[in-house]
Amino acid sequence: MRKLALLLAAGSWLHSQGLDPAALLKPPTNTWPSYNGDYTGRRYSTLSQINKTNVGTLAMAWAFQTHQQSIKSTSLMVNGILYFTVPNHVWAVDARTGRQVWHFQRQSGGNMIGQRGVAMYRDRLYFGTPDAHLICLDARSGKQVWDLEIADYKFGYYISVTPLVVKDRLIMGMSNDQSDIPGFLEARSPEDGKILWHWDAVPKPGEPGSETWPNADTMAHGGGATWIPGSYDPDLNLIYWGTGNPHPVLAGKVRRGANLYTCSIVALNADTGKMAWYFQASPHDTQDRDANESIVLMDADFKGKPRKLLAQASRNGYYFVLDRATGESLLSAEFGPQNWSAGLNSRGEPIPKPDKEPQIAGTLFEGSGTNWWSPSFSPDTKLFYVNAHHHFMVSYLTLDEQNEEKASDHQGGTNTTLWSQSMLLALDYETGKVRWRRDRPAFGGRDASGQGSGILSTAGGLLFTGDGSGDLMALDAATGKTLWHLYPGGNLTGAPMTYELQGRQYVVTAVDSVLYAWALPER
Amino acid sequence: MLVTALGVWAQGRPQAPPDPAIERGRAQFGQSCGFCHGPNANGGTHGPSLIRSAVVRHDENGNLIGPVIRDGRPDLGMPPVPLSPNQVSDIVAFVKSRVAAADIRSANRPVQGSGDKLLTGNSAAGKAFFEGAGGCAGCHSPTGDLAGISRKYPAAILQARFLYPQQRRRIVTVTEAGGKQYSGELLALTDYDVSIQDAGGWYRSWPLDSIKLEMKDSLAAHFNLLTKYTDTDMHNMLAYLESLK
Repeated sequence: MRKLALLLAAGSWLHSQGLDPAALLKPPTNTWPSYNGDYTGRRYSTLSQINKTNVGTLAMAWAFQTHQQSIKSTSLMVNGILYFTVPNHVWAVDARTGRQVWHFQRQSGGNMIGQRGVAMYRDRLYFGTPDAHLICLDARSGKQVWDLEIADYKFGYYISVTPLVVKDRLIMGMSNDQSDIPGFLEARSPEDGKILWHWDAVPKPGEPGSETWPNADTMAHGGGATWIPGSYDPDLNLIYWGTGNPHPVLAGKVRRGANLYTCSIVALNADTGKMAWYFQASPHDTQDRDANESIVLMDADFKGKPRKLLAQASRNGYYFVLDRATGESLLSAEFGPQNWSAGLNSRGEPIPKPDKEPQIAGTLFEGSGTNWWSPSFSPDTKLFYVNAHHHFMVSYLTLDEQNEEKASDHQGGTNTTLWSQSMLLALDYETGKVRWRRDRPAFGGRDASGQGSGILSTAGGLLFTGDGSGDLMALDAATGKTLWHLYPGGNLTGAPMTYELQGRQYVVTAVDSVLYAWALPER
Repeated sequence: MLVTALGVWAQGRPQAPPDPAIERGRAQFGQSCGFCHGPNANGGTHGPSLIRSAVVRHDENGNLIGPVIRDGRPDLGMPPVPLSPNQVSDIVAFVKSRVAAADIRSANRPVQGSGDKLLTGNSAAGKAFFEGAGGCAGCHSPTGDLAGISRKYPAAILQARFLYPQQRRRIVTVTEAGGKQYSGELLALTDYDVSIQDAGGWYRSWPLDSIKLEMKDSLAAHFNLLTKYTDTDMHNMLAYLESLK
């Protein structure tokens, strides 16, 4: 009887020619079926038609103009169709010609800062909105199947993150960075959006982790947003997700303690949402150092022993390597200078210096880090690539004039940037040591590049990325040497992705409001 | 994090005039509501924060807040507050302004509150740093370029400026392969190209791999100090510069 019910439930999918979730387990070649291309988060492609010897002849295959805001999504490519987004918009575009198949639009209130793309399950697409709804679309037509409110956008919740499809579940993150609200992760049914499990990024009184907060009130408003898609290990059945900064952002004084599980990497059972382990990248963060950066899974040697590894280049300037089965810390290496950490605790987590928290009269702060710009790991070069920056600023704490136990507002302080520079780093995955680097020219105190870009590495020995000056480039992944570059009229705003279609390899880059596809010239 | 507000406030952004409804609402709220909800509406000893209230956040023109003020919340111990529709409307404007002020997405903004809070340093120690360890006196003079500096900038801006002035112009020299030289203001420098405005006011650009670029960093001394200052040094320096009236 139960089997029959399952069959009936599955009936609506039977005629579909969409995306079998099993495709998510394979390296992406003739598809790019998820935000990172596969569950490892490494954004490496085994395609090599475009390679070191011929990339110099790379040419534009087509361009698609959206006439909308910057594209921060990574396109999916399934069955010859690309699917990509900006807030309130989804496009389906012919991956060979760049011609539009359909365009979905929905007006909403809420936060329009960015949209990282759709998720696909069989013949349906899933799209998060600025007013924190989840929309299900028919991938064939772009017609809406359902629309579900996930959280209350009047409190500042919004969905920029792409859901992660794991088996028959959508794992949903959530953004919130303007008021003191807690973050969470949820699993929902692709069929109707029904909630399957819910995990709170901050504990309730009495739960493990609650001892790292002063009281129930600070905990209930503690932050920990989950705004970048996580990774998944099908053998361990664990999902790995980064959490954001605690709230109020700079006012550490009003929330003494480590503030678990903010600024953390957490491993959750994909079926139950139960936490298997956590690693806190920034205990008691007071500088908005979200640990949301992409989590990269590597099956590789560590000190001569094959291990299931997890790596993150974090927003706090540390490159972390963990054993992803246990959460054991294997390496915490600084990839840039800083003045706020007093070293590592026994768990391998940085120890923040109390006197480098923002103070009322100002604290001189030096830091390094990265952000949502996707990193990449190439198993060929064994290098972990990340766009990073180094900066100095003065940080001021501001408290409520009437009650100094409270922050002045959601930020609880002010930062004045003095100097910053950005760079592309190639880190030895095992030691975190910089094997090569490209420092962007610093000029006028702040370099020209306010914005970093995502990275793609390939079996062609290439690394594709962009910089804040609008240079789009293909580099030798082993050395960092430029093999191809041009100015496409704006900055690379989404991470590059690649696919093979009808025997031809394409690299797709989002540059402001335009999607470009690049390929070798046709003979 | 990478975007600074300095450029904006150095130009002295004019303050928007206060909204009279919000100001009336602030006074009325203080009288009628502040005792429980706090004068800033962010919670007091008896009443919850209204910044975190779903009623407030979903309110449209008083449609949700109005009935609560009029009828009270007897179940939660809040009495009805007899106010005129105009008074209610002013309170709504004030509470909404508090929500907007609290919901701030970026910490990159002008320093909040009085500049006096920044003046915790010791002026004499700042002078000693200026003349000694800081090496500032090599380029700057309290009776020369820094005379009256404290009158020119608010404390927070002065603090950022002495740490690392935002450079407006940077003069570079480009030498072409044939030996021909151009000097001018640097306009852009990327991984691959450089562009300048030459002495005649004309735009010129070159691929970096075809020329020699000479660029003097006149702020190198400021940069080197950034890694040497303690916070106390920084506060003392501000106190000293603030004394240069």
